[in-house]
Amino acid sequence: MTRPETQLRNVTVGPDQHASTGDPGRRLRARLSATFDRERPFAALMVVPGIVVLALTTTLPLLYLVGTSLFRYDLTAPAGNGFIGFDNYVRLASDERFWDSLRLSAVFTASTVILQVSIGIGLAVLVERMSRGRALVRMAALLPILLAPVVVGLIWRSLMLTPDFGIVNYLSTVLGLGSRNWLGDPSLALGSVVVMHTWQWTPFAYLIFSASLATVPREILEAAEVDGANAWQRFWTIVVPLLRPAIVVVVIFRTVVALSAFDAVYAATGGGPGTATELVDIYIFRVSFQQLSLGYGSALAVAMLVITLAVTLVFLKMRRAAA
Amino acid sequence: MKVQRGVWIVTVIAVVLFLTVWVFPIVWTLVTSVKLPKDVFTYPPSLIFEPTSANYEQVTAGRRSLVGDLWTSVVIAGSTTLLAMLVGLPLAYAFARLRLRWRNVLGVYTLFTYLIPRIGLVLPHFVILRWLNLTDTHLGLTLVYLSFTLPLAIWLMVSYCEDLPAELEEAARIDRATRLQAFWRIVLPQLRGGLAATTIFVFITAWNEFLFALALGGQNVRPVTVAMYNFISVEQTLWGPLTAAAVIAMLPVVVLGLLAQKQIVAGLTAGSVK
Repeated sequence: MTRPETQLRNVTVGPDQHASTGDPGRRLRARLSATFDRERPFAALMVVPGIVVLALTTTLPLLYLVGTSLFRYDLTAPAGNGFIGFDNYVRLASDERFWDSLRLSAVFTASTVILQVSIGIGLAVLVERMSRGRALVRMAALLPILLAPVVVGLIWRSLMLTPDFGIVNYLSTVLGLGSRNWLGDPSLALGSVVVMHTWQWTPFAYLIFSASLATVPREILEAAEVDGANAWQRFWTIVVPLLRPAIVVVVIFRTVVALSAFDAVYAATGGGPGTATELVDIYIFRVSFQQLSLGYGSALAVAMLVITLAVTLVFLKMRRAAA
Repeated sequence: MKVQRGVWIVTVIAVVLFLTVWVFPIVWTLVTSVKLPKDVFTYPPSLIFEPTSANYEQVTAGRRSLVGDLWTSVVIAGSTTLLAMLVGLPLAYAFARLRLRWRNVLGVYTLFTYLIPRIGLVLPHFVILRWLNLTDTHLGLTLVYLSFTLPLAIWLMVSYCEDLPAELEEAARIDRATRLQAFWRIVLPQLRGGLAATTIFVFITAWNEFLFALALGGQNVRPVTVAMYNFISVEQTLWGPLTAAAVIAMLPVVVLGLLAQKQIVAGLTAGSVK
C-alpha cells in the first residue's frame, strides 16, 4: 500500500507543479518530510475514535459476557447469586435442551444454505441467458433482502402459513396435499421456517452468483458450446468451477447468518410448537430474558460464540485452500 | 448465443416463477392492508373487494397508533447511523490509505467485530444498560446499535476508500493542504456516492433490528419492529393493522433501498467477486 503511494507522489507531483519555483527536488523532499512528521498524529486522529468505540461497544461487552458466565446471576431469585466458577458450563454440558437446539440449528443451517446456494446458482445461470429483464430480476431480488426479518416472520406466519386463510395452505389444498398447520405441527414447523429463511436470503446468493457470472468471459461458455458440450455438462465442468470462489463466500456468510437466525423464526413460531423450532439463539434468549438466568444464558452465549467462531475459521481455511 | 426455443421458454417460465415467489408475499401484504376483516377471511383468497384505509387509520391514530414508535425508529436508526459514519469513515480511510503499524491486526479485529453474533452482545448490553440506568432510553439503544452499525459502516467504507484514486490527495498535499484539509476537501467529495450508499445500508440495518430492541427497549422506547409484533398475540391476529404496520415499516427501507439499488448490490457483492 505504501510503496505505490510514494511512487505516485514522485510521478504525479514532480516537475509540472513546481518547475517554476526552482530546485523542485529539495522542496519536494522538505515538503514530504514535513508531511511525514504529521503522519502519525493524523493517523491517530483517524483511527483512535473508531477503535475506542468498537472496543467499548463490542469487545468490552464480550469480556463482560465471559465474566458473567462464571456467576450465578438470576434476576428472579437473586438470593443465591454469586461466583460459581465453571458450574454453568458443567450444567450446559448435560443440558439436553441446549444440545437439541444445537442439532436443530445445524439442520436448519445446513438445509437453508444448501437450498440458497443451489437455487441461487440455478437462477443466476438462467437469468444470465436472458437478453432482457435482468434489471427487473435484480430489483425483485433486492426486495426480500431489504425487509426486516421480523416483518418477514410475521408476514409468513399470518398471510402465508396460517392454516385457514394462508396462501400456502390454499395452494396445498388446490394441489391436493390437503390443509396443514404449517407452523403448528411439530413435524412441519422446522421445514416451514427453513422455507421462510430461504425465501428471504436466496436473493442474496443470487445477486452474488450473478455478479460473479458477469465476470466470466462469454467466449469460454461459447467455446464449450462449439465443442458440443450440453447445458448440463457445461454447468458442471465450467460454470461451477468458475463460481467456486463465490460459492465459498456465500456459504461462509449464509452459514454465519443462519447459525444466529433469530428474528424471523422468533416472530413466526417463538421457537414452538414446544421446542420444535427452538434454534440455539432462541433458547439462549428464552433462558436469558424469559427465565432471567443471566449467568447461565451467558455461558450458553459463550458456547455459541465459540462454535460460530470455529465454523467461520474452518470455512476461512477452506477458502484459503481453495484460492 | 443461439438458444433453442424450448430452452428459452423453460428459462422464462422458471424466472417468472421465481419472481412471483419473491414478490408475491410483499404484494399480498399490500393487498391485505387495504382489506376489511370480512375480506381478509374470504376463502379462497380473493382479489375482488372494496379497498379501505381503515387499517392505516388504526395504526396512525388512537390506541394502536404506531406514530410514536416510528419516530423512535427514526431517531435511533438515524443517530446510530450518523455516529457510526462519523467515527467509522475516518477509520475506514485510515485502513485504506495510511500506513498503520498495527494495520493487519486492526483489520482482523474489525472483521471479527463484524462477525460477532448479536445474541452474544445482547446479554452484556442488557446488564451494562441496567447498570448505567439507560435501559428503555433512546440513548441506550443508539449506543448499543453502534455494536453492529459501526463494523458494518467500516466494512463497507473501506472498499470505497480503496477504490479512490490517490492522485488528487497527493496533489492537494503538495499544494500546501494539510492531511486533514485534503481529507475534508478532496477525499470526502469524491466519496459522496459511497457515503450515501453506506449511510443508506447502515440505516436500513438499524431500522430492521429486532433482537436488541426487543430485549433492551420497553414501554418508552419501542422501535416499530417490536411495536408491530404486538399485533400478533396468542388469542388473535389483527390482520389488517398488522399488514398496514408491516407496509409502513417496510416503506422507508424499500424506498431507500431501491433508490440506491445499484450501490447496495455492489456493496453486497463487494469482495466476493474480486
